[in-house]
Amino acid sequence: MRTSTPPATLRPTRPFGGTGAFLWTEVLVQAHESLAMATSMVTQTVLLVFVYILNPGLIGVALIGAVIFSAFTLGQRVLNEAAYIRIDHKANDLYLAGPMSAEGYFLGMAGGILIVYLAPIALLGGLAVVVGHLSLTTSLALLGLAGLVWLFSASVGYIFSTFFRDNRAIWAYASLFFNVFGVLPPVFYPFGYFPEVLRPLALVMPPSAAAALLQSLIGAATLSSGQTALAAVGLVAETVIVFVVAIFWARRTVRGP
Amino acid sequence: MSSEPLWSENLRKVYSSKGAPPVDALAGVSMSVHPGERVALLGRNGAGKTTFLRIASTLLRPTSGSIRVFGYDVAEHPERARPYIAVVPQEGKPFFHLAPREMIYTYLRARGLSRETSKTRTEEAIERMGLTEFANRLCITLSGGQRQRTMVATVIATEAPLLFLDEPTIGMDPFARREVWASLRALTAKGSTILLTTHYLDEAEALSHRLYIVERGRVIVSGTSDDLKRSVGGTLKVSLPEGARHVDSFQSFGSTVTDGSSLTIIVAPERLGELMDLTIRRQLTATVGPVTLEEAFLRVVGRKIDED
Repeated sequence: MRTSTPPATLRPTRPFGGTGAFLWTEVLVQAHESLAMATSMVTQTVLLVFVYILNPGLIGVALIGAVIFSAFTLGQRVLNEAAYIRIDHKANDLYLAGPMSAEGYFLGMAGGILIVYLAPIALLGGLAVVVGHLSLTTSLALLGLAGLVWLFSASVGYIFSTFFRDNRAIWAYASLFFNVFGVLPPVFYPFGYFPEVLRPLALVMPPSAAAALLQSLIGAATLSSGQTALAAVGLVAETVIVFVVAIFWARRTVRGP
Repeated sequence: MSSEPLWSENLRKVYSSKGAPPVDALAGVSMSVHPGERVALLGRNGAGKTTFLRIASTLLRPTSGSIRVFGYDVAEHPERARPYIAVVPQEGKPFFHLAPREMIYTYLRARGLSRETSKTRTEEAIERMGLTEFANRLCITLSGGQRQRTMVATVIATEAPLLFLDEPTIGMDPFARREVWASLRALTAKGSTILLTTHYLDEAEALSHRLYIVERGRVIVSGTSDDLKRSVGGTLKVSLPEGARHVDSFQSFGSTVTDGSSLTIIVAPERLGELMDLTIRRQLTATVGPVTLEEAFLRVVGRKIDED
């Protein structure tokens, strides 16, 4: 009945271990919720329709903004998912009290959500390229900047998720955060329309910084070299910092205080 | 340094929050679990069972004391201990938008098991836990008991050297509970070690080699269920549904417990005849049965396990 044989020595948890497997888990989970995928583009579509009705000439700018906004709102999905798994399912304990790494859990979740929602974002991106006649360089810049915005917002979303004890509280804050930073600043409309005094602020907020850089590339905005540097360096620096903090925070919050 | 599957010494956990006095959730717990054992932690709500399990499973920091999993310091090197453990969290639920087969398989993959091993173990766990019929249905469509079986199957399939199960059979029907018991026995026969908490005393008695009873953050007694039952001072339990008002007359026979109008007496077999004579003289009805772990718990803790 009992055994005295000790188990073989097992490798300690590896950094980023389990990322791929948990990414696939999250893809399966999200893919079973096809309605959420279908509704993920509602806000962007509504804004695009408004822009098209009010000024069809700005639809190229708005399409680029829609791609950036879509990448940004994936962070809200990470926030909701991480909090839901932890608060409602307590399934984070199942995964984290085991050989899977905490950062693998975070990145797998964020990556899985990205993959599942990539198709509608790619559709918007394709439209932006075709309608806006984007060059290869600008298209690659769109891809890279949208990727940075995604990494920033996914990291912020995961960090925020650890502060809540009740899902109901999250709805309000998450919606406020992602709409204030994604809709109000010049993401869907030209950077030049934004009040001059607030423009430095827009250049340090990742979604509007990315949008401003792209608008500058297609000639829809005029940025000084200082503004370009502020937007580019700020976006990269903020993303790297928040990502590193998210990795640290994911590891730290495996264990309660 | 102990290389037991689980070993703790004077483990303490104090919860502090603003505006509230600190709470000693664990007030110095020392225990050890030997290889291949199934050990139950018993205690009322708030006794400290889940806190202990969460610390042991690297999900909570202790305030002081030592705790080791296979010799690895859980507080200092959780990354060394984690590969050896698997946990069924209290009130944990599987992903609602995965089917049990997907849930188990992807979890094993996330733990680093190969595709082939994960697939084999998934099918074994599904069959062993009676999940075959709904293995491909999304968990959101399953009953609470079926979801819990999915959680237990997921963890059992890991065959981890040390399993922590926090109320593993809660919400299950008696048939499903017995399937879980059989699976856990099979798992320890293969070499795993199990620490579980449960509110079901029959489960603790049927399943565990040893028990620890925890009250107010302390281990107040440990041993086998037979040890605990012997400690109540007799092997028979006499229940008198209307006997509470006669408690003084029966106290000389052994320990007595009143609950409303009823009286329960723990008595040695040789004094049963004498006690029954008195019962008849008082015109009371009585039922006689063996002492169970419930009486032992009541005797040791002073309250029933489901009493807050």
